[in-house]
Amino acid sequence: MDINVRKRAQAQLIQLRGPLRMGPAVDGLRQTMEEALGNGDTRLVINLAEVPMIDSSGIGLLVRFLASAKQRGGSIKLVQPSKFAVQTLRLVGVLNLFEIFDNDDAAAESFA
Amino acid sequence: MVDEPVAGSGTSGFSELLNVSVPATTQSIGQVTGAISEILLKMDVPENKRFEIDLAVQEALANAVLHGCNGDASKTIHCRLNTDHEGHIVITVTDPGPGFKLEDLKDPQQPENLYGDHGRGVYLIRQLMDHVQFDRGGSEIRMWKY
Repeated sequence: MDINVRKRAQAQLIQLRGPLRMGPAVDGLRQTMEEALGNGDTRLVINLAEVPMIDSSGIGLLVRFLASAKQRGGSIKLVQPSKFAVQTLRLVGVLNLFEIFDNDDAAAESFA
Repeated sequence: MVDEPVAGSGTSGFSELLNVSVPATTQSIGQVTGAISEILLKMDVPENKRFEIDLAVQEALANAVLHGCNGDASKTIHCRLNTDHEGHIVITVTDPGPGFKLEDLKDPQQPENLYGDHGRGVYLIRQLMDHVQFDRGGSEIRMWKY
């Protein structure tokens, strides 16, 4: 999985490319989010447009860090999740925990 | 991946499409799900059904690696892909672990579990597949897609 991080004034943008499943993909995103929260960046935007699938370990990672970010006054907002990612998040009942946006700018500006 | 292909029809419409033994690693999961996806694609299985099977197999293999083998790469997981006499797709994943009790699993949809970082795998499998059966005390899962 490719993970590209960009810093904006309002939020940290994390662009993912590839399946988010157990192994290097989940480990890489965990490290990225740990570093962000460790640096005090609690407002995260994760672009899922090029993530064709998310498994249960990926879902666990997202909701765990959503809780951590919220406890520190921030949040995680999702951008353009694929239809299968939406289907999976809905199946396990966590889709409504996230705010979802059509593009990075709208998600980042929602933190302002 | 030790491939033991036994392709072709059996005596009663039963067909084995894949039969592999792999070390209990995350790399193996990708190899097996990739191989199954290729077979399903050649069978012209619709995209949505392929996605659901892929994710269910991913979850079953992940459980086998993490819980059945405790992440010990020296242990082996078996995976078979069949069609049954009615043409349904059947996937079986077997690990060498002690299994588990279904009643010990928590409901991930309960409010107290929503933010948990684990415990959704079997729930997802049961949502994605049409029939799921556990044997050998839980160390073997068999999943049907109609």
